[in-house]
Amino acid sequence: MSVIGIDLGTTNSVVATVRDGQVIVVPAAHGGYLHPSVVSFSPEGLKYFSREAVARRIVDPKNTVFSGKRLIGLSFRSKEVQKAMTRLPYDLREGNNEQAVFVGPDRTYTIPEVSGLLLGYLRQCAELYLGDTVTGAVITVPANFNDAQRRATIDAGRIAGLDVLRVLNEPTAAALAYGLGQNMSQRIAVFDFGGGTFDVTVLQVEGDVFEVLATGGDSFLGGDDMDTTLLNILAELFRAEHGIDPRNEQMAHARLLIAAEQVKCHLSDYSEARGELKNIAVSNTGEHLALRFHIARNVFETAIRGLVARTIQTTQEVLASVELGPSQIDEVIMVGGTTRVPLVRAEVERYFGRAPRVDLNPDEVVAWGAAIQAENLAHAGDSLANNAVLLDVTPRALGIAVTGGFAERILDRNVPVPVEQTRVFTTSADNQTTVRIQVCQGESRRFDENVPLGELELSGIPATRRGDVSIEVTFRVDTNGILRVRARDAATGAAREAAVNVRGGMSDSEVAEAVERQKSSEMPIDSSLLPEIEV
Amino acid sequence: MPGRSQEDLARFVEQMWDKLDQLSYFDLLGLHTGATVTEIRAAFYRVSHDLHPDRYHRIDNREMKDRLETIYARMCEGYRVLTTPEKRNSYMRLLGEGKKRLTSTDREPRGPQRPEDSIKHEEAKKFFRLGMISLGSKDYKGAAMNFNFAKSFEPNSAVIKQKLAEAQAGLGKPGGPGNR
Repeated sequence: MSVIGIDLGTTNSVVATVRDGQVIVVPAAHGGYLHPSVVSFSPEGLKYFSREAVARRIVDPKNTVFSGKRLIGLSFRSKEVQKAMTRLPYDLREGNNEQAVFVGPDRTYTIPEVSGLLLGYLRQCAELYLGDTVTGAVITVPANFNDAQRRATIDAGRIAGLDVLRVLNEPTAAALAYGLGQNMSQRIAVFDFGGGTFDVTVLQVEGDVFEVLATGGDSFLGGDDMDTTLLNILAELFRAEHGIDPRNEQMAHARLLIAAEQVKCHLSDYSEARGELKNIAVSNTGEHLALRFHIARNVFETAIRGLVARTIQTTQEVLASVELGPSQIDEVIMVGGTTRVPLVRAEVERYFGRAPRVDLNPDEVVAWGAAIQAENLAHAGDSLANNAVLLDVTPRALGIAVTGGFAERILDRNVPVPVEQTRVFTTSADNQTTVRIQVCQGESRRFDENVPLGELELSGIPATRRGDVSIEVTFRVDTNGILRVRARDAATGAAREAAVNVRGGMSDSEVAEAVERQKSSEMPIDSSLLPEIEV
Repeated sequence: MPGRSQEDLARFVEQMWDKLDQLSYFDLLGLHTGATVTEIRAAFYRVSHDLHPDRYHRIDNREMKDRLETIYARMCEGYRVLTTPEKRNSYMRLLGEGKKRLTSTDREPRGPQRPEDSIKHEEAKKFFRLGMISLGSKDYKGAAMNFNFAKSFEPNSAVIKQKLAEAQAGLGKPGGPGNR
């Protein structure tokens, strides 16, 4: 039985494990170590994953889900999902409890289900490669993922048949991979710029202790945005030549987006990119029109300068929050494929006044750390544990609604986890047997400027005069960054029921159903696509 | 110092659970009240080695785990309070009154407090905060630039205008770089 670490990315995922004290990365089908985070569905109920699914983005864009990480754990009504829908070629609609669900060719799928299918595929890849069953996993998430996003990620893991040992913050995982066993005493910054998210984290590394001092980021800023920028450049080139906007046609749009990503990667290594895309559109006269392009790196850089400036601005804010300046950082670790863009490296170097570390593979370092922590947890208490101590912090402040539209802060942001606070609530009407409390995440004092997390319901209160019962509610954010709530009668000490109904999330019974469905319908993966097994 | 075996942890929880609310942060971390930040950090790292929830991940006694986590969470709280100067000051006063815990967040007054709370636009808020940081370090040029950015997103905000004026006044001060 093995445990694995999974970096579940917006664009690509990476799986790693520890064997005899060494980290090994599970190869991907069709070569390399990056498994594209794409799932494609057929009307017969077949699923395609990874590289195979990427090919279907062009021929069947409506049934091919990519960038699922941008949607996971978000309410359908959130502005993020509404905005994403304008760009995604597949259909989403509102399901139970404000969930965003993907409208597949055979049925609808919740986003954790789609991610669960992908995670199940990754688990199978690992099992084939390792020749062993995989039971547990550490799955990484962006440090600024909120409670609902973390819960949804755990649900996805459970649906994939995995015991989710921990959801671990990506920068903390990267720091662990970088610093474990080095016996160092350093203050480091992890600059994590992935496909869909950006965050920056400052850590103090002292031997085997990894203490997060501050973290912050932007969940909606990533390499995808650069792709969109390039797509627009390409589309404008085509329109200037032919007078037709290729973005209006779905398949052309999908092809341009894939070309944009390739152009971006090419421009990381070369100063210009040239190419031709045939049959982008058909003219009035029935002629097939091609897009010929020639884009210089500096044109691209001018277009993305604003995006890169936002990362530096965020970095400045995070450092300022712990009263640090850029010169007080000993080392900068680059994580995520987007840090390969030369302008990003140059701006990071300019800001910190030192060249960032790029010797660790920015695509794999997070999965390395996840694998190390998975091993650590699976062996907790025995001699195989590496005993690294990860001192992480709360990603967001937590508050509850109070009169006047304000939020009362219960737990602060950026404080060490686990963290616990207790509040006393009482009934406001005679014979009231339940108390509902609105919970939100965010720093604003106005409730509606924060992200509504859901409702906390205290039930089973004896019917009596208002104000006669006092209920102590303990809010705890655990080492997964997830809120746990306990309630008890302040007078008698008896436990009371308390449940947080998270908006946009799957219910326990929905998850249980999905787990069963996946277990019974999982197809073995085509092992001929995987590289020769050698362990 | 508690050991790592389940029996040791169980004994530790039994010892600590009932008296948790009677222990000061100093008691919990095994420190004297004059401890330096370096000493506090070292003590916290030491207890974390034994009591961080990762250490008892495989123990399946839920109640014990839950209690351990509460005890460790209190140590985390102590670490944070004692290493933040103004929180430590408040805590020392409370300690004098016989209280053992500082729960600062429940004493914050309701309603808008920070100057940026009245700003609606997210970008404006961001630049405003950056402007305030620059202003704090007397970088009037940077402050004026950031407040101007903020103003471009929310031209009618009184607080942005006021702070912009402050930054510009700073720029105009004798000895400063001058602003026009």
